[in-house]
Amino acid sequence: MTQSPETRAAGRRSAAAQLANAYGMLAVLALLCAFFALATYHDENPTGAAAGTALAADLKGRTGVIIVQSQDSEGEAFARSLEEALTKAGTPARGTLSGDPPTVRAALERVAAAEPLGVVATTRSCADWTLFEALKSEGGAYAGLEVVTPRTVRGSTFLSSSNLRNIADQISVIAIMAVGMTLVIITGGIDLSVGSLLAFGSVTAAWMIAHMGGVAAGPGALIVASLATILLCGLVGSVNGAMVTLFKVPPFISSLAMMQVTSGLAFIVSGGLSIFDIPKSFVWLGRGADLGGIPNAVALMALIYVAAHIVMSQTRIGRNIYALGGNFEAARLSGISTRKVLMLVYSISGIMAGVGGVITTSQLRAGSATYGAMYELYVIAAVVVGGASLSGGEGRIFGTLIGALIIGVIRNGMNLMDVEPYLQKVVLGLVILGAVLLDMLKRRRWSKAGA
Amino acid sequence: MSYRKPAAMAAAVLALAAMAGCAGEKKEAKSQKVIGVSVLTLANPFFKVMADSMQAEGKKRGYEVIVTSGELDPSRQKDQVSDFIVKKVNAIVLCPCNSTSIGTSIQEANKADIPVFTADIQCLAKNAKVVSHIATDNYSGGKLAGEAMVEALKGKGKVAIIDHPEIESVMLRTKGFREVLAKHKGMSIVSSVPGGALRDTSYKATQDVLEKHPDLDGLFCINDPTALGALAAMEKAGRTGRIKVISFDGQPEAKEAVRSGKIYAEPVQFPDRIGAKTIESIAAYFAGKRVYGEELIPTELYRKADADKDPSLKKP
Repeated sequence: MTQSPETRAAGRRSAAAQLANAYGMLAVLALLCAFFALATYHDENPTGAAAGTALAADLKGRTGVIIVQSQDSEGEAFARSLEEALTKAGTPARGTLSGDPPTVRAALERVAAAEPLGVVATTRSCADWTLFEALKSEGGAYAGLEVVTPRTVRGSTFLSSSNLRNIADQISVIAIMAVGMTLVIITGGIDLSVGSLLAFGSVTAAWMIAHMGGVAAGPGALIVASLATILLCGLVGSVNGAMVTLFKVPPFISSLAMMQVTSGLAFIVSGGLSIFDIPKSFVWLGRGADLGGIPNAVALMALIYVAAHIVMSQTRIGRNIYALGGNFEAARLSGISTRKVLMLVYSISGIMAGVGGVITTSQLRAGSATYGAMYELYVIAAVVVGGASLSGGEGRIFGTLIGALIIGVIRNGMNLMDVEPYLQKVVLGLVILGAVLLDMLKRRRWSKAGA
Repeated sequence: MSYRKPAAMAAAVLALAAMAGCAGEKKEAKSQKVIGVSVLTLANPFFKVMADSMQAEGKKRGYEVIVTSGELDPSRQKDQVSDFIVKKVNAIVLCPCNSTSIGTSIQEANKADIPVFTADIQCLAKNAKVVSHIATDNYSGGKLAGEAMVEALKGKGKVAIIDHPEIESVMLRTKGFREVLAKHKGMSIVSSVPGGALRDTSYKATQDVLEKHPDLDGLFCINDPTALGALAAMEKAGRTGRIKVISFDGQPEAKEAVRSGKIYAEPVQFPDRIGAKTIESIAAYFAGKRVYGEELIPTELYRKADADKDPSLKKP
């Protein structure tokens, strides 16, 4: 059979529309990033080894420099390189002080008792301590005190590598749960239980670890507890699926009920308290960064997205999920086992919530029934902003990732710009509203085109 | 045509972001010193008052105070702390959403050498370094509540406690209360039930207590929502006259109840003083002075005479 020119043209048109849609969201993300990059562009205060060497050049010829170092790794590197550079220049530093402000003040007082103070070289965070001004105003041995810091450079806080890592890390849990939600929403369903399920998963994992050795639990126990938790959450998800398929309960109601049940169970298991008998090694998943500085949770997220993308675009299961959401009756008549497909997507949604629970427990090194409150809404928002349609049949895995990124970037950017918390809620709400409006406009245009 | 709508959407998002940005940029002064705050929830006026007073005190001392709220969500609070670290704020103030989960965030701040202070709610995690904790002196406040109860019942009567023993601050309140009552032979504590520290759950708990003790003389409620729930239960049961209620907190609605005589008296907390003291401690710390690991802000007993003079209450 050959396609008529009209059909082919329509196919091309809708492909173009899809592309524009996908790139549209990407464009929104890029514009947001550009905006926040510019808005957070300001004078940055360098630290670390390079700043130390640069400051030594500025201090050429000055003798009796006292170095005050902050107690982080960059501060240490700064002090070390400054010391070396000053020694090389023939004007070795009089000493290096480190500690909290009271300790440094006491040390400066001791130094000043021997010889009046001159130049104090330090980084911005320590230079901000008011103790230097306080000492200088006392006069005497402190009158000559002068604080110098490395010269500022222009840079964007938003674009700093630590902040970009930060954003990826902050969205990882929501983005992983959004994969499951995307599948559910493509079938035309919804899963409101994921937030509570995250709490349930977190408490279950922590409880199992606490009962398999607690802080002394070995890696085997941690893996078993994590996998068992994820499986258990998948099982809870399949209960949702069973309600939807076997008893034709609307997904909204069924998952609303499961939201209550799992939240209640989480409180029962934990007794309302947080469970923190967890070994330090467990934070590897949530806070470690083994792949060239990429946080492990982010690496896991990337892995899940690639796998989900392949499943949804290359396999029969993926096609069946789309078919079922596009037209349930047609999918059923064409021989797709709609029950199996629905069971599968709700189980996956549960599994993803379980993964989210394990990661959150690892990040916070404690399990608690209070985690995950309202997460179902953030997750749904990420999916919808990512272009999936709540009426089913439509949505892309990477669209969801972009949706999660958009929400994450807005939240992080607003925090960096010190936007009031109340206003942040308004902005986020309007963004979600905008995405849904876009969905409606698209729908109306297509129905018009069809008529 | 299909290209335009995403573009319109992008424009809308940018406009919003710009709107949000204007609110932020105005405050940006050159090399301003910054304190990042994350409170438990801004839905509770207690924390709003505390945060406002931190901002006012910070302004006086040359600090910009950025207020965020975890809204009871520990992982949201974790994100807020990591944003503070990226911003390289000078100090961080936390009211932990979860006293143990907050540990990992505080450790991150410790690693970046940013001093952490806690206000009102303590961090109980190990290996997390907090410079100072500033909170209400709940123990002596509990004693004040006990003294008020003795005074209200003239040294003789049966008392029940609507409790919430899950929280340390509440445990300290009831400890002080019980110690004072134990010194008076005529006073006895006949019951102590969990009220959940909330209005609706305390309402039900009080109903049970009233049912069981028809000769009850006094009721100690561990905070204002508890007392307001208990009052509702007493009104419903028609037992308002005899039972004297002592509360704890100082929220406006409870102060109103003190004025109308429904609550006999209550030790009031000062979230504004907690906020101001926190900033004061931070300033002292940066000036190189030793600060105490814990600063307790005393409560003051608030009676009908105080309520009658209180300008913050509306005239009846």
